[in-house]
Amino acid sequence: MTATAATPSTSHLDETQKALLANVGFIDDGRSATGVLVDQRVAETSSVHPDVEVLPIKDALLRYDWLQDLMFRLIDPDENEAVRQATELVDDPVGCFVYVKEGAQIEEPIQLFSVIETPQARQFTHNITVIESGASVDIVSGAAVPERVHAGHHLSLDECYVREGASVRMVSIERWGQRMESESWSRTRIGAGATVSNTTIQLARIARQRSNSITWLAEGARNNEQMITVAPPDTVREADSEIILEGAGAVSETTARMVAAGGVIVNRSTLVGAAPETTGFLGCDGLKLGDVGEITSVPALRALDDDAQLSHEASVGKIGAEKLDYVMATGLDEEAARDLIVQGFLELDEQALPPSVAKAVTDTVRAAKSGSL
Amino acid sequence: MFSETTPSGSVVLELVGVSVEVGDVEVLHEVDLTIRSGELHVLFGRNGSGKSSLLAAVMGLHPYRITSGQIRLFGESLEDVTVSERARRGIGMAFQDPPELEGVSVDALANALEASDRLSDAETALHLDGFRDRPVNVGFSGGEKKRWEICKLFLRRPSLLLLDEPEGGVDLEHAAVIGDAIALLLEPGATELDAAPAGLVVSHTGSILDRLPAHIGHLLVDGRLVHSGDAGELFDHIRRGGYRAPA
Repeated sequence: MTATAATPSTSHLDETQKALLANVGFIDDGRSATGVLVDQRVAETSSVHPDVEVLPIKDALLRYDWLQDLMFRLIDPDENEAVRQATELVDDPVGCFVYVKEGAQIEEPIQLFSVIETPQARQFTHNITVIESGASVDIVSGAAVPERVHAGHHLSLDECYVREGASVRMVSIERWGQRMESESWSRTRIGAGATVSNTTIQLARIARQRSNSITWLAEGARNNEQMITVAPPDTVREADSEIILEGAGAVSETTARMVAAGGVIVNRSTLVGAAPETTGFLGCDGLKLGDVGEITSVPALRALDDDAQLSHEASVGKIGAEKLDYVMATGLDEEAARDLIVQGFLELDEQALPPSVAKAVTDTVRAAKSGSL
Repeated sequence: MFSETTPSGSVVLELVGVSVEVGDVEVLHEVDLTIRSGELHVLFGRNGSGKSSLLAAVMGLHPYRITSGQIRLFGESLEDVTVSERARRGIGMAFQDPPELEGVSVDALANALEASDRLSDAETALHLDGFRDRPVNVGFSGGEKKRWEICKLFLRRPSLLLLDEPEGGVDLEHAAVIGDAIALLLEPGATELDAAPAGLVVSHTGSILDRLPAHIGHLLVDGRLVHSGDAGELFDHIRRGGYRAPA
């Protein structure tokens, strides 16, 4: 299968939209390709690199015959009630098709964003990403709403194919509205010898956010995930993830840092060792700030092969008095000391971020952390 | 240079009949202690004798609770004064076993204290160049932790140094570095006050006396201050006869 050529810009983003998206990583230039969904339409798809293509999914399905076979291959439209209802209700899905050619080494990241501008809008997106063999690329994605939009519903389906020997670093920052609901269903198949690094940042207040992901790793594939999640008051975040090491020698490491700052976090992670010489680690640490809110962390390990090495570490608690005293003994008052400790707890591993966006992402996150906490 | 003779400055720290509990256990019993500006005092005692508890009580750390008596800093009671406020009033503490602050870099802590400009010189003095981006105490060796604990004090330049085993487990070369740095912190003019800073050092081995001219030594036995006197003489006595009060 092949796709060709850079796609010309079809930009309909205005300056207000660009400013809004800048909060979650958008920049006007310095990106190899861009895809932006606004409400139930594709507002922009463009590419400035000949080896990268971003298209509206509808156009891509018409242009590339083989894409039909990839759609709904990793996620079944009847998989569960939420997905079934969404796919039945919307017969004209909106989303982006992202394609990186075989062997392409893309220096500037691809950026993909979702925006809800209309209050109470219901946005359903279906994205398909194909990174061909030996390609290397960074992908920055995010979601945002204008300040005036509090309520709405977003549901996304993402199917991602990372082919043999490819390398992808992804970072995602979501800032939905305070009374919104968001559901995401993502499926990723990582080919033999391929490497995926995925950073997810969820800090802003939202009524309910639910994510469900399954990742399959083929022989020798590597997967590294870090997630930082904050639940401010009146926020419920529920994450279910399953990582299946189905190829010999596959390696996965997941680190989740969760802070319940008045809201609720439920994190259920399952790591499956289904092949020889597979190695996996789940790290789930939670901080509970104050009396309100809760954290439920359920890491699970399933060894289907006797040569799978799986481990997990989980902790949930409040900030220890020893740490607080230590910082306060430098002269910072209690609130500033707590803030410093929590900021540190949520600090990103910059090594896992695309270098071209690392500083912007960490600055954005630091500012957002201060606000959300 | 830091004075080797006993100065007689104004009173910095005063403990009057101080008893301290941790949980239901009394760990210090009616301790009286006075430290004046420019003085360096050393606390001797066996493990568990209450040395670290005394420092923690002065700093106001959890879970130490004053059950009787009073602690005064520059003549003002520290009752109900938070740890932060004690630090701002001039107390600085080097912890014996400091906690790790995951994700909080040395630089971030210095920035939070608005003391980045003081960090560079301190880093150099303590042989900690290149530590700015490292999370505080995470992955530090034992010796690095000890040096960082002293380095940290330069960020605020305290009037009263509480040093809990500052040289414990440190190699000879770095013990000298630590000793020199503490001497700098104790120099007159090291703080914004006119008076010279004062110090209270906990030491198991007394090796700090090789580095710093301590003025007064105290012996703690089972939470009681059983003797106070010339630091050198007390140390000699302990070396000869163990942790028993001189006749």
